[in-house]
Amino acid sequence: MADDATPLADEATPLADGHRLHPMTLVQRLLLSLPGLVLLLLPVLRAPNRDAWLSVAFAVTYAVVALPLIVLRYLRFRYRITPQELIIESGVLTRRQRNIPVERIQNVEIEQSLLPRLFGTAKVKIETAGSSGTEGVLEFVGLDEARRIRQILRTYQQHQAAASLPPPPSGEAHAAGKAPAAGEAAGAETDPGAGTELLSLPLRHVLLSGVFRFSLLYIALIFSGLQYLNVEPEEMVDWMTGPRLDAFVAAVGDSPYLAAAAGILLAALLSWLTGILVNLNKYHRFRLWLDAGKLHKRHGLLTVSEGTIPLRRVQALILRTNPLMERFGWFALQLQTMGLDVDQQGYQVAVPFAQKDDVLRIAGHIYPFSLPEAFRPVSRVTIRRTFVRYTLALLAVVGPLAYLWREALWGLVLLPALLYAAVLHYRYHGYAVQDGALFVRRGIIRRYLWIVPVHKFQVFYASASLFQRRLGVKSLLVDTAGAGSFAYPEIVDLPAGEADALLDDLYRRFLAHFAPPSAGPPPPPSPATQNNGSISI
Amino acid sequence: MAPDAPDQPAAPASPSLHPLDPAIRTIWSIKLGLLTLLALIGVLFYEVTHLFDDEGGWPPFVLTGIVLGLGVAISLVVPRLRYRYWRYDLRAEELYLERGIFNRVRTIVPLRRIQHLDVSQDLLEREFDLGKLIVHTAGARSSDVVLPGLRIEDAERLRDTLKHYILEDAV
Repeated sequence: MADDATPLADEATPLADGHRLHPMTLVQRLLLSLPGLVLLLLPVLRAPNRDAWLSVAFAVTYAVVALPLIVLRYLRFRYRITPQELIIESGVLTRRQRNIPVERIQNVEIEQSLLPRLFGTAKVKIETAGSSGTEGVLEFVGLDEARRIRQILRTYQQHQAAASLPPPPSGEAHAAGKAPAAGEAAGAETDPGAGTELLSLPLRHVLLSGVFRFSLLYIALIFSGLQYLNVEPEEMVDWMTGPRLDAFVAAVGDSPYLAAAAGILLAALLSWLTGILVNLNKYHRFRLWLDAGKLHKRHGLLTVSEGTIPLRRVQALILRTNPLMERFGWFALQLQTMGLDVDQQGYQVAVPFAQKDDVLRIAGHIYPFSLPEAFRPVSRVTIRRTFVRYTLALLAVVGPLAYLWREALWGLVLLPALLYAAVLHYRYHGYAVQDGALFVRRGIIRRYLWIVPVHKFQVFYASASLFQRRLGVKSLLVDTAGAGSFAYPEIVDLPAGEADALLDDLYRRFLAHFAPPSAGPPPPPSPATQNNGSISI
Repeated sequence: MAPDAPDQPAAPASPSLHPLDPAIRTIWSIKLGLLTLLALIGVLFYEVTHLFDDEGGWPPFVLTGIVLGLGVAISLVVPRLRYRYWRYDLRAEELYLERGIFNRVRTIVPLRRIQHLDVSQDLLEREFDLGKLIVHTAGARSSDVVLPGLRIEDAERLRDTLKHYILEDAV
């Protein structure tokens, strides 16, 4: 609003007056609302002769309520950008105005899914530092307009950073610390193409990465979808293969075990294929480039998304693989970030799939390191503990089952396999400290290698449970911002003495990293300006 | 540094670590006692509604007795143990915590990682003039590190000392 008396007032402020979304938004919203209508009408569509009036009633309601709502929402939605803030006005019944200060904007993401691409429009997502989610969404603006918005926001950010840099008002102790950050955040970035390209994933690799990935999630989705549409899997197979498989079907029908095996096999196959397709949709034409201290990526088949990761915000690097992928030298690289997209749970895929050397080369741009020659193992006691844990888990499944169905006791045949798994777990678990970072690797099937730079450490834990104490081992965890709740770089079952020593060592390194420039603790009583952090009761 | 702790254990005490205020034991006991009471109500309800089912089973009110006994024992013992193993110290560069009966945890919170600080006091704690200090960091698993059982004025003093260490951009 206030574009008076700013240094920018006389320059062009391109989007200072209210703008509507792209007119095609109307058509798109209409199309997007159709599935909802179909869902409403589904009972009637499935049995057309009954209750025809119901269908009419639904359609009328839809026309009277939904359509005007779409138009009204469009008419009521405005956005404008002043040198200080992005202002979004919206709401049909309750009017809402959202002001997003320009300097708080972390990331402007442009996303184009299939429909918007047909119309040449895009969705602009504004992410800010303070909030966890997406703060503002412009859905939809023209693609050029989207890029222009991003460019304008960045320019304003730079202006602000520049304005706040030269005259540091005497009282503000941390203005100096803040300005470079803002400058970096505003980094002069243009459209894809600028900067140094780090990775461009060929189609071959995208497909291959899908082949290596296997998730049971999709199969659940498929089956629940079929359930909903009331299509029997058998019908579908019939419809696809005709009578060619009749003999097979009959054979399968004779033996329930064969049927179960065939079912599982079919499910696995379907899931695998779906995984490949989903993967293709997500990572098609994956490109990663580095520009002005920020990583940019752009990928997708139906939905093209563009994202930005400021290097400064990267908290840890995670090299991931599984035994099969590792066998052929394939790895993926994730970055643990904070404050950006929560949909990704603090993890951003930087490299979906590449050979080890490529991954290491790219990772080196983010944080320079070399892979440790050898990892220090944890205590062998961990084999025992892991085996006991696996066994208890198995018993928890087999026990109740065996109560109903005695044959389930055959599940205990798995025990040697569990022992082998425990040994594998021990072999792969290890840590190393070098290049100013802690390296922790863990996992049998999903293999993780965390690379946590010392200066990103947050809080240090050494813990020992009752059992661990009896066996003389401890677990050690260095917490970082944005770490996941399921997978985190904990070192489990180190000999107690080693764990304590390592904790002290890591903490010393942490202190040493911050010691030289800022000389220990900040000068304690500097009364002004530092009050904002604490909240009293 | 802890002459006011009557049952000073031989166990963990590294020197110079502070124990919590002894009154916290009473508070924990009361809280666990209330939980016991809650469980007891449930069990009693079950017992009374099944009083006249004669399908063998246990004689009446045995279950209630067990729950009551266990509850009282836990309410008496756990706070003492918990108190015994809780230690903290504010040092030049870090806040150091030790705690845990079964799972012993040593925690180092570097002061420069502190994002913001809360002092909180619930109803019971207010009766005893106690409070807890909550230290928030950006760490995912340690977004709030809680230091309970401080005299409220100590908690506030700690907070005021610590808040000078809050950096603008701690990540």
